[in-house]
Formats: sequence, C-alpha cells, structure tokens
Amino acid sequence: MTILVLILAAAGLAVGYGLYARTIDKNIIQPDPKKATPAKMYMDGVDFTPASKNVLFGYQFKSIAALGPIGGPIVAAQWGWLPALLWIILGTFFIGWVQDYASIVVPMRSEGDTFGALSYKLISPRARSILLVFIYLYLLLIMGAFGKVIGQIFLPKPVVPFGILSVILMGLLAGQMTYKWKQDIILTTVITVVVAFFGIWLGQTSAISGIFDGLNNALGANGQKYFWPIIFAIICYLGAVLPIWRWAQPTNYVSFWIIALGMLGGVIGMIVWHPSFGDFPAFTGWTVPGLGPLWPILFVTIACGAISGWHSLVSSSGTARQIERETDALPVGGGAMWMEMVLATISLLTATAAMGGWEAYKEAFAGGKFGVFASGLAAFLNHIGIPTAFGTAYGLVFLTIMGLTICYLVVRFMRVASAEFLGDAIPALKNVHVGAIVALVLSLIVIWTGVWQTIWVLFGGANQMMASLALLIITIWLMSQKKPAAWTFWPFVFMYVTTIVALGYKGVHAFQAAFAGTNVTGNIIAGVIAVVLIVCAGILGYDGVQALSRQRGAAPVKDTP
Amino acid sequence: MQTSARERIREKIRHVAHIAGEILYGMTVFDWVRGARRQRGEIERLFILITFGDIIGLPILPPYYTLRLLPYVVPVLNRWKRSLLRERDLTDLAELIEGVG
Repeated sequence: MTILVLILAAAGLAVGYGLYARTIDKNIIQPDPKKATPAKMYMDGVDFTPASKNVLFGYQFKSIAALGPIGGPIVAAQWGWLPALLWIILGTFFIGWVQDYASIVVPMRSEGDTFGALSYKLISPRARSILLVFIYLYLLLIMGAFGKVIGQIFLPKPVVPFGILSVILMGLLAGQMTYKWKQDIILTTVITVVVAFFGIWLGQTSAISGIFDGLNNALGANGQKYFWPIIFAIICYLGAVLPIWRWAQPTNYVSFWIIALGMLGGVIGMIVWHPSFGDFPAFTGWTVPGLGPLWPILFVTIACGAISGWHSLVSSSGTARQIERETDALPVGGGAMWMEMVLATISLLTATAAMGGWEAYKEAFAGGKFGVFASGLAAFLNHIGIPTAFGTAYGLVFLTIMGLTICYLVVRFMRVASAEFLGDAIPALKNVHVGAIVALVLSLIVIWTGVWQTIWVLFGGANQMMASLALLIITIWLMSQKKPAAWTFWPFVFMYVTTIVALGYKGVHAFQAAFAGTNVTGNIIAGVIAVVLIVCAGILGYDGVQALSRQRGAAPVKDTP
Repeated sequence: MQTSARERIREKIRHVAHIAGEILYGMTVFDWVRGARRQRGEIERLFILITFGDIIGLPILPPYYTLRLLPYVVPVLNRWKRSLLRERDLTDLAELIEGVG
C-alpha cells in the first residue's frame, strides 16, 4: 500500500508537472529565455541578483517546506487516508503549483514588485493594508499552533530539552566558527552536526532525561503548562533580538542537517520496510468530531503540501527577484511545490502505514498531534538499524527544532510589523526588545488559552485566504495582459469560498464553546480572529470583483520589460 | 567507441553531481551568502548616501575628498539610487521567514 501511495503521488507529479504545468507555461505564459528578468535589469547584488535555477530550486524548497506539510496530513488523516491523499495530490495539481509558479511569473514581469505592491496596484490601496493584517494574524496563529506543540507537548518530554540545547549551542558555535574564526564551512558543518547528534543521543539516556523528569515532577502538571512555554518564549526572544548571523542563521543551518538527514533516513526506512496500512480506514466519515465536516475543514487543515498562501509571499519577495531566465520559473516555483507534495505524502504515510493501524494512530494522536510523526519516523528509522528509543527522541527533537527555527523568525517579523503599524502612535514599539516582548506576550496568551485544533484550522484559514488573494492578483494580472485566466480564476473561487465557510464554521463553534463556558478566553480570541479574517476577506472580495470587472473592459497593458 | 560511451556516462554523472551540489548549496549556504550580501549592500548604500546624498536631494555640500571618490562611485550610482528609492513594504521581508509552509 505504501508503495502504491508513492506511485500515485509520482503519477500526479508526472502528469501535473510534465503535462499540465508545462502546457500552461508554454502556451499561456510563453517564457522567453532571452528576455531580461528583474534580477538582471536591476541587479544590485543584494535583492536583485541572478542565480542558477538549481540553487533557486533548493532555496525555494527550503523556504516553503517545514512543519506545515508535516502537521496538516497527520491531523487530516482523521477523515481517513484517502481524502487527505486526494487533496494533497489534486490540490497541488490544480492549485498549489499554479499559485507558486505564477507568484514568480507575475513579479518577474512586473519589475520585481512584491505581492504587497501588486495588491496595491492591481486591486486597491487598502488591499495592501488588509494583506498585512492577514500576515500579522497568520504569524500570531503560527506562534500559537507551533508554540503550543513545542511548549506544552514536546519540551516537557524529558528526552527533548537536552537535544534542543545541543542543537542551539552547536548553531551558535557554527556562527562563531564561520564569521569570527573564519573556519572552513565543511569542517564547521561536520563538527557541529556530529556534536549535535551526540547531544540528541545523550539527551535520551536515563542519566540526562532523569534530570528533566525530576524537574517536571517538581513543577507538577500546572507548573509544566507555564514553565516550558516560557522557555520556548525565551528561545524565540533571543532568536528575534540577536543579530541574525549570531543566532537565527547558524542555528537554522545546523537544524537543516538534522532535519534533512532524518528525512532521508525515514524515506530509506520506508522503502526498505514498505509496510501496509493495516486496518487504517480509507474514509472514516464526512464529519470528524472536534474538527468538523470534510468540506471545508479538510481544505484548510492541509494547507502547505497542497496549497499555501505564504509561498506566494516568499516567491514574490525572494525568488522572483533572483530568476536568471524566464524559463526557470517553472522548475523553481512549480518544481519546489511538487516536491513539497511528496513531503506531505510521506508525512501522511508516517501517520498511516508507520503506525500500523487505526487504533495505534488514534492513541499516538491523543498523546500529541505531531508526536504521530515522531513515532512514525522512529518506526521507519528502526528499519535502517536505528534503535527506536533514539529514533523517537530524534523525531521529537527534529520537530521541535523545525518549529523553533520558524518561530524566532516569526517573532522577528512581528516586531518589525508592530513597529511599522504602531511605531508612530506608540514609539516604544520601535524598540526591538519591546516589539519582541509584545509579540511573545500575545503568543503566550494564545498558547495558554487556545484550543490547538481550532488554532490550527484558523492558521490554515488565514494561509488559504492569502492564497486566494494571490490567485486573485494573478488572475487580474493575466486579464490585464489579455491572457487566458480560467486556470487561476477557478482555483481562486474555490479557495475563497472554502476558506470563508471554514473560518465561519470555526468562528461560530469557538463562540458557542466560549458561551458554554469551555476555554472562554481562548475561544473568544479564536472567534474574534475568525471574524476579523472574514471581514477582511469580504472587503478584499468586494475590491477584487471591482478590479476584475475593470480589467474585463480595459485595453491590454504591455508587461515589463 | 567504448571509451566515448564511458566518457559520456562519466560526463552525465558529473552533470548530475553538479546539479545536486547546486541544489544543496541553495538549501544550505545560499542563505548565508544572501545575508552577507544584504549586510554589505546596506553599508554601501549608507556610505554613498552620506557622501553623495546630494544626488537624490539631500543637502550635502560635497567636500573635495568626496569628489575624489566620484570615479569609483559612478558605476554603482544607478543601482544605488534604484535600491535606495525603491518602495518597500513588509512583504519584502517575507522571504526571511523560511519554512512556514
């Protein structure tokens, strides 16, 4: 069964990328390899710098793929493996790659404008402000969703903290060796990665894990709930305020190797083992208690891995400005998205095949959503000779560090955003420490009061709403160029309607739960966020329809250059 | 005949290894390189601003030593002006947050 799923994913990739994507690229976008791209025209050696398509593919893939494509499929497997698999493959086929690819093409043909500038020009001036509201709420929800898992589930596990400490210390050493001691990058990599692995191994020995076990016993259940999220916040604070070369960049670098080697080992183990799904059902029913109906909730539960709005921002602000030839946009943008689909499929397999059956999955899921991935990865690694105890600790550290590396970059962004939004009214927010602390206090409130599944769905909803905004901008741009736009317009309509219904559903449920006295603060916060997102989406929809009708009657605009 | 077939295979392997190396570079060190470039770019922008700010309307009276720098600065003036005056918003920073998915 595992092999069959992988074959299905490979078939989706072959037909989707090899046929559909290439046809769109060739017949509609018609890239010209001789045309000067913004990277060449405006080369400044900083933002606009041409890079090889292979380098950019690696950069794009690393920028888009992380906890999102891992978490979504694991949660969505509650509807059965088939709906999740179909959405991963078909979502990428009809929507995911379309957005990522076109998010490179449109800025590339618009002098390297980001989606902020494009929404201002193509939709309305207020569309840019709304986009920024989406981004801020999206990042807050990321902090809530990832922070809750890291602070309340992973860090309290006695085998995790020492491993995390080793990876962070090795990251700091990597930065010191590279920037201050001017050491060779290969030597730096070998030393720091090997020692980090040793630290992870040491962390799961009884001598070290016993210390954290004792600490947890001393804290008690209630103490743990507050203590570990504060540790999470301190790590994020340091990552957000220290120079990027000192903390965030080298820690991410060492983490990359920890994560990449784990994924590689997991895939090899999976191929060697190729387990069956056991009694894991293909379909469990149209509604999952606590999560909601298949439509629309599945389509926001799996965001990254099928379609993710954040990709459009990364593609337009980073990748589009480095594209050397127009023909590179498809292998870089489309190719990286298809690779992310493969990652999401593997993640689904860790939840289904590696668990050995439905009951084992439910048991692991109840013990922590992402814990399913850690146990699944350990099972795969076990088939290439890695002991399960180390494999599980490794899986947990792998996921924790993956989330942490994102979170401190998110706090970094949130402090810049609050300084930009409110810096004039509240000058204190321009201070890096105040901005970071405000972002972290907001995050801690969501972590301590929120309901994880609600936060995750809202996070997916904000993300998918950004995707529909990106698809709207792309559609308007295609219409302005008098090019066929059905391949982006219908995905936009689907994503827009689905996301609004999903946010409405979750918002209503959050308020109902709050009025019933369950998790009052967390549910009210979730409900308010859902309402804000829906109102913003409504305004964008109204402005978008007006922009579309403007374009229908307008003369074609010559693209640049 | 056999040698050329072997040579072709060797060439193919070299090509694949080159691609794999570039992808790995993109996933790992490319970020560091971009970070260093960004830092250098910011310092350079600031330096030209305080020495040749009058070009974009900042009231700086060019001293003699600034004029001696002029021949070295001329080649980068266009890209400096574009880079300095380019409109930016928060979405410019989105690429800095990796792996959000």
